[in-house]
Amino acid sequence: MTYSIISIMRQELGLVVIALLVLFFDLVVNEKNKQKVFLIALALFGLHTLAGFFPFEGGNLFGGMYSTQPVHILMKNVLNIGVFLVLLMSASWLKTPQIANKSNEFLMILLTTLSGMYFMISAGDFLMFYIGLEIASIPMAILAAYEKFKSRSEEAGIKFLLNSALSTGFLLFGLSLFYAAAGSIYFDDLTRTLSQPSPLVALALTFLLSGLAFKLSLVPFHFWTADVYEGSPMVVTSYFSVISKGAVAFVLGILLFKVFPVFEGLWQNVIYTLAVATMFLGNLFAIRQKNIKRFLAFSSIAQAGFILLGLLHTDNLGIIVIIYFVLIYILSNLAAFGVAQAVYAASGKENIEDYNGFYKTNPRLALIMMLALFSLSGIPPVAGFFSKFFLFTAAAKAGYYWLVFIAVVNTTIALYYYLLVVKAMFINPNPEPLPTIRSDKYLRSALFITVIGIFLTGILSPVFEYIQAMVDKF
Amino acid sequence: MMSITFHQAVFYFFSAIIVIFSILTVTSKRILRAATFLLFVLLGTAAFYFILNYAFMGALQITLYAGGIVVLIIFSILLTSHVGERFEPIGWGKMIASALVSLIGAGFTLYVLLNADFIPTQAPLPDASVKNIGTALLSYERNGFVLPFEVVSLLLLAAIVGAIVIARKEPHDTENPNNE
Repeated sequence: MTYSIISIMRQELGLVVIALLVLFFDLVVNEKNKQKVFLIALALFGLHTLAGFFPFEGGNLFGGMYSTQPVHILMKNVLNIGVFLVLLMSASWLKTPQIANKSNEFLMILLTTLSGMYFMISAGDFLMFYIGLEIASIPMAILAAYEKFKSRSEEAGIKFLLNSALSTGFLLFGLSLFYAAAGSIYFDDLTRTLSQPSPLVALALTFLLSGLAFKLSLVPFHFWTADVYEGSPMVVTSYFSVISKGAVAFVLGILLFKVFPVFEGLWQNVIYTLAVATMFLGNLFAIRQKNIKRFLAFSSIAQAGFILLGLLHTDNLGIIVIIYFVLIYILSNLAAFGVAQAVYAASGKENIEDYNGFYKTNPRLALIMMLALFSLSGIPPVAGFFSKFFLFTAAAKAGYYWLVFIAVVNTTIALYYYLLVVKAMFINPNPEPLPTIRSDKYLRSALFITVIGIFLTGILSPVFEYIQAMVDKF
Repeated sequence: MMSITFHQAVFYFFSAIIVIFSILTVTSKRILRAATFLLFVLLGTAAFYFILNYAFMGALQITLYAGGIVVLIIFSILLTSHVGERFEPIGWGKMIASALVSLIGAGFTLYVLLNADFIPTQAPLPDASVKNIGTALLSYERNGFVLPFEVVSLLLLAAIVGAIVIARKEPHDTENPNNE
């Protein structure tokens, strides 16, 4: 144990230092300058995001309790990009009078939950995995209830807290069964000792998967999603739907591929069933939604169903397509949320009806929304097409032709409701369309980054090759 | 073969206490009673640690859970609601459905657990003295816990900051008619 710990854990340490600095600055600066802490946090986090891309080999610490490899660093980098965009989008919301006096606490809590996701991704045993998961979920309830002057936001907070407590209970019981079966909670011990599928292991795996399915809001564990997404502040909803979801998808991939590969026969059927149920229910319910946040909530449930397809191809290709899909999903979904955020900040409206005739007054925002929705549904030439295509290829290579067929059917259903929003913006007449919106420079630059990303991540093959190179070192 | 040792008898006694009071906790109509029943569940769990000769954990369980957390729960009940308040009665349909789900779930889990062949460990019982626990808590070797020990403090910090933000009175709170 030397100073190597600082270099191996540098991403976690850096992030924790930023979070603590935000708290510290909030305490020492005077009232006038409180808003400037946001700029410091944004700049530091931007540097942190860039620093993550320096090549680094990784290593193990604490007797295998913490391990980081290039692939883990890549996952954290993908999350960093998303969080950076969320921070940019939150600038105008943090300035609103009701939020302004607690904006720095918001940043600190947000960054802490991200550090929980880091620890969860880098966990080498179930204890660290569990603590990371808790850091990533308990403070999230606070973020959901951040607009506590609205009863819907309070409701979202308490709903999330109770649901997450229930799912954590399932998960912990599963972990205790793993300990009973293997006598250890270290991942390397588990892979060594548990070589035969047994009913006990199947039961433990079921509880573990149910707990994670709650967090990933897979059907039938999705009931909390729509209410929490609708009630939370828009920024928090976007954080929920892309960052939390992406992190849990990564962790699910790591656990299934690296810790339980021998039980492939056990969990593949479960993942198959969950994927089919999640895609169908998420899509069918999305059609009925009138509120843009609920709409995006159900669309994100359906997207989680697509992510599961990648889990069925159990070698590196599976991990590669999941990271690629999550990266593009983060960019496209954040673009959609960014436009919704701009509309909400300017007019307080969040129904799909309100978007009628949006193109007339806000052509650029309408185009960005259209691009984002095309990317979410997977229309070429935007990136969403490529990520879905690779995902389907991976599932087909693993021999799941029927599942790919079902997924294609679902893509068509999804296209229908995404186009409904596009139709509202471009075709539906509206005598009183929304006024022309001029959003602040942070939101505009975030939207700019997402649009560039939506085009380039699909077309530029170096992106995919970079992910491939990182994963192959795993 | 069927003779029950003293150890087992004590185990079953405390198990019965835990099961009965757990059911009472979730079925009780009064929230303060539910909290009191929970206290007995936590005390019963502490008894398990003493049976296993893990006195340190037993003491922790009593001081932290039975002593600290239940008192916290009771305080927050007394501060936020009327003691005499009763929950709305739950409909029979819901009651039967949830009882069925719990029974099937518990039965299935029990069936699997009773049929599982656990491998008895050959390793000698670890010395659970306070000194060893303290060393393990700050050890960075395998089976050391310094990383989780430190990382949990992050969770606590975020939770404390968040709790202050949520609980703090603000001028905007009263302006909004939506807020009760």
